[in-house]
Amino acid sequence: MVLLERMGSFFEIALGIVSDPTSLAILFGSVLLGIIFGAMPGLTSTLGVALLTALTYSMDTPLAMVCLLSIYVGGTYGGSYAAILINIPGTAAAAATALDGYPLACKGEGGRAIGLTTTSSAIGTAMSMLFVVSISPLISKFALQFTSFEFFLLAFFGILISGSLTSPDLVIKGWIAGFLGLFLACIGRDQLQFFPRFTYGISDLESGIEVVPVLIGAFGIPQIISVLKDKFQMGKAQKFQRILPELGTVIRNIPAIIRSAFIGVGIGAVPGIGEDIAGWVSYGTAKNTSKHPETFGKGELQGVIASETANNACVGGAMIPLLNLGIPGSPPAAMLLGALMLHGVTPGPMITFEHPTFIMEVAAILLLASMAMWVTGMLLAKQVVKILRIPTQIFMPIIGVLCIIGSYSLGLNIFNLYLMLPVGIVCYFLTEMGYPIAPLVIGVILGPMADENVRRALMVSQGSFMPVFQRPVALILFLIIVWTVVSQLPWYKRKMAGIKLAFLNKIGLNPK
Amino acid sequence: MMDKDKLRKADLFSGGIIFLLGLYIVSQSLQMPMKDSWGGVQNVWYVSPAIFPLFVGAMIMVLGGFLVRVAFKSVGLKGLTDVTGFLFSPQMTLFLKQAQNLRFFAILTLLLSFVFIMIPRIDFFLAAVLFLVVFIPMFYLDDHGLLKKMLMVYLGQMAVLILFFITGLNTGLESLMGYPGDILVLFFIVTFAVFAFSLVRRDELKRKKFRTCMILAVMTPILIGVIFKYLLMVPMPFEGMFVALTDAIWYFEF
Repeated sequence: MVLLERMGSFFEIALGIVSDPTSLAILFGSVLLGIIFGAMPGLTSTLGVALLTALTYSMDTPLAMVCLLSIYVGGTYGGSYAAILINIPGTAAAAATALDGYPLACKGEGGRAIGLTTTSSAIGTAMSMLFVVSISPLISKFALQFTSFEFFLLAFFGILISGSLTSPDLVIKGWIAGFLGLFLACIGRDQLQFFPRFTYGISDLESGIEVVPVLIGAFGIPQIISVLKDKFQMGKAQKFQRILPELGTVIRNIPAIIRSAFIGVGIGAVPGIGEDIAGWVSYGTAKNTSKHPETFGKGELQGVIASETANNACVGGAMIPLLNLGIPGSPPAAMLLGALMLHGVTPGPMITFEHPTFIMEVAAILLLASMAMWVTGMLLAKQVVKILRIPTQIFMPIIGVLCIIGSYSLGLNIFNLYLMLPVGIVCYFLTEMGYPIAPLVIGVILGPMADENVRRALMVSQGSFMPVFQRPVALILFLIIVWTVVSQLPWYKRKMAGIKLAFLNKIGLNPK
Repeated sequence: MMDKDKLRKADLFSGGIIFLLGLYIVSQSLQMPMKDSWGGVQNVWYVSPAIFPLFVGAMIMVLGGFLVRVAFKSVGLKGLTDVTGFLFSPQMTLFLKQAQNLRFFAILTLLLSFVFIMIPRIDFFLAAVLFLVVFIPMFYLDDHGLLKKMLMVYLGQMAVLILFFITGLNTGLESLMGYPGDILVLFFIVTFAVFAFSLVRRDELKRKKFRTCMILAVMTPILIGVIFKYLLMVPMPFEGMFVALTDAIWYFEF
């Protein structure tokens, strides 16, 4: 009965969006804009969501969500165009797609590859929507049992795991980035006693740093600097003909699509882990389980399908912790969280009480965005590819202006710019030195939650940490955190390598 | 991202800076009320506003220290002396003069001057046009020599603009004519465009590229400005000569 009610509500919302010409126009327009952002190397879906946050500020929340989720979905998919046609992933999420996409395009099968990525991306997004609908109520119900200790540990876990998995160099750098984000979140008057921390008498810092300008700076400015400084040159796009994929090929690949969607949702649900990791993991799994792993990297359709299904399924996966716990599952989801806060929606376990239809709205938008993405992809792929001819040197300065006016317009405060630009420059240096930016952003977002909850928890327990060991969820989270840290220590790695060697010796598989 | 060897050397310094930052956060946090009264409330340590920054600062310190240790183990004392030696050697000057670094300085100069000098004082449309008139051709023309010349001219313009505001010339001129700062920037836009054109006029391909740059540099701020100011009702950061003109057109205030 409850399921039927939920289905009814879901279709009612979806129908409401489809029957409203403005919503429909925004849906298709944002998906197209997302595809363009994704297709152009140097622009990312995160940047797209960031810039559109400013434009949607004055919109109603549901309409703003249509806009932001559509650009997110379109942007994640759009990266495949450049990956397939010029061997340069439009976004990091499409990096794995390039491995087999470009060889396919070189064989004259670029259209087929684009058609299949469009279809598998749409199926991936739609499947992830199913997870949002089915898992969200369970997580939300479970999260209602959480106390302040659990929320603190969850925030801390989010930062650590994001730091561990997104660091391109040493894991420790990911953690440092996360703690730098937490430090930025400390700036301003504290939530419990209103004591000014690190404000240096600057009144603009009293209310804390504005999240969205910091996010725009962290994602936008390093991108502008690195693209222009390193003289990024776009390759010549391969030509292609028919896009519409054969039904038989799609049906044959259904098991691969389903497996990749599961991987995408699973990885998306881990806090702070983006679509790029989902794409790689899914690609690796497809290769390892394939009967012909030697064909991967030489133009294997399954490789393209695996990476594209997973990165788009990651969108829905990232929505699960975002909506139910208030913890973003990926960098664009972090941007979405900032946008939601601007619209007065605070994601978390209480969302089902404060905004009963919100999760259904998100699910309906995801489904419609996946459909809009498929239609737009099929109809406009050839036109969108022309965008790849625009030199990055032309659009990067324009993106600079958009970042600046976007940061200013959220709060109409020039101080936002004084914050956005230095943060962006520092983030550029951090990126150059191998520090990931996602944990920093997650730290900025989760900082207030961690700060408030740890103090509230200690207030309730009169300064005792014992509840961490008495509450099962808190204890599990604590143990995972400890393991995450310990597993990176050199002696642990040595010990594990020793155990592995001893085991291999025992079963007669000594590598020597 | 740098290669691994360079990264480890850089880690020695970034780790050190991060360690010092952590130390600074801890020292600042220790000055926050721990057990004393704040705002009429008697504190206990566990509700102190210092708790969280103390934890964060300590973690940053530990991780920064750990990073230095890892980097030091990897490159050793020789790595450290190599880097410090390089920093104070003539090679450093050569490194800074590399084309890639010049492009980096150009981007930084443009962004910093746009945000800190122009946006708070100059009409947004004009500021954005000057920003793009310089920024787009500097990179799109793809010529190191031209970039250098353009950067020098732009730096000169910004120096004049800073002097114009520091000396209070703008307030003095305001009594004589409207929008003196905007007029100066308009003059800069025209002179820069003429200067840039003089640099490319003999090369047909560059001339064509330059034309594209100018069209985009003028049309983009108008489009962005109109969307934000009139459709999204976002007042511009600084509204001057051009906004007054567009207001008059938009609201028919002739």
